[in-house]
Amino acid sequence: MQTPTIAGSAQPRLARGVRLQTDSKTGNSVLLFPEGVLELNETAQEIVTRCDGRTVGEIIQALAQEYDADPQMLDADVRDTLVDLHRCKLIELT
Amino acid sequence: MTSPRPYALLAEITYRCPLHCPYCSNPTQVRSDQELTTGEWTRVIREAAALGVLQIGFSGGEPLARPDLPDLVCAAREANLYTNLITSGIAMDDDRVHALRDAGLDSVQLSFQSDNAVLADEIADARVHQRKLDAAAKIREAGIRLSLNFVIHRRNIDRLPQMIALAESLQAERVELANVQFYGWAFLNRAALLPTREQVIRAREIATAAQARLTGKIDIFYVLPDYYENRPKPCLNGWGQRYLTVNPIGDVLPCPTASSAIPDLRFENVRAHALDWIWRESESFNRFRGTEWMPEPCQSCPQREIDFGGCRCQAALLTGNAANTDPVCDLSPNRATVDAVLREVHSLGHHAPDWTYRVNPTAFPTLERVT
Repeated sequence: MQTPTIAGSAQPRLARGVRLQTDSKTGNSVLLFPEGVLELNETAQEIVTRCDGRTVGEIIQALAQEYDADPQMLDADVRDTLVDLHRCKLIELT
Repeated sequence: MTSPRPYALLAEITYRCPLHCPYCSNPTQVRSDQELTTGEWTRVIREAAALGVLQIGFSGGEPLARPDLPDLVCAAREANLYTNLITSGIAMDDDRVHALRDAGLDSVQLSFQSDNAVLADEIADARVHQRKLDAAAKIREAGIRLSLNFVIHRRNIDRLPQMIALAESLQAERVELANVQFYGWAFLNRAALLPTREQVIRAREIATAAQARLTGKIDIFYVLPDYYENRPKPCLNGWGQRYLTVNPIGDVLPCPTASSAIPDLRFENVRAHALDWIWRESESFNRFRGTEWMPEPCQSCPQREIDFGGCRCQAALLTGNAANTDPVCDLSPNRATVDAVLREVHSLGHHAPDWTYRVNPTAFPTLERVT
């Protein structure tokens, strides 16, 4: 089975009613939605904070610049994370 | 032992409700104490946030019956909580929805009795269905996340496809198709509400097919009818582990139905104790925490940290002892109590008995009754 992927031109945003905030007990970033709490790892946090209207391609470029990394190395990680979040309806794509 | 951390507070701010649904999980009898004031709720909300709570659900009764609801939402947002309103939608006029949006309300869960107005109004025993449709539109216009909740029972379970279609047409983000669970008024009305096995099998097929068809579009959450299962639900993810409820008069409960289902357990009140102490130290929160309290067959069961022995309230209601294994489990020596109810429902065929409508514990302006 082929893994679903996301176009580089897609613009991911937090879905309606989903909030990103810092958990004051742990200092970690969490996504809050009516049915639960999702604790984000560092990679996911870096991606989600950039889901602000930028395209997937732009997010990858920004992260590559920030971490002085090869965009092609980041590509799969970013897309996989976004696919997971989209499947959980925590982000929407336009 | 370090206490676990609570993640969510269910704030039952009033027992008053303009509807009379026979499946209501509220207690059938309540103490006639004064409801907590705005100031008392604000303190509870701050104490909950300090304990680690990240989410609050405003529920009831009908939370819109309290004019201070927007103030409470505001207090919750100031405490950095995610705010969810669990409502029938009656009294959700333009002013209310705007006040709630401006207070920072994150999400609304709107209850429906059916997709069909005549049946819905009969179940609620009030003319409410059209008002709910209007409320859904207002919530949608205000840009607040919307989920629909249908409580499923014998009289409406055959309309699942139409209910799902209604959720689609109202552009809800999510729809919950929740088979009735038997507490409070619903326990009283079990024989009238429990669907037949054939109905349950059909409903599951419909829900599963709709989940596949609507993936990525609308989230469909189907709550199993646990009497028809052979393993119990992992109630609350364990007693006193993640959730706490504060009821309208300030009693703090590990589970919203515990006060009526487990009368021999004494619950502490926020007017007498700090929430932190109640969560960590009180007898009621520690009684069924962890696994040490478990009798056999739970104590040696490999599933004991998966389902936690099921539901304490159900054990109390069906066996008279809250420490027993939930009798839904087919390893329970009391499973026969559940099977007897299922046999009764089967023998009734199409002749379900009448139900008893929920009544309010205190005088409350009611809508015109249908029957």
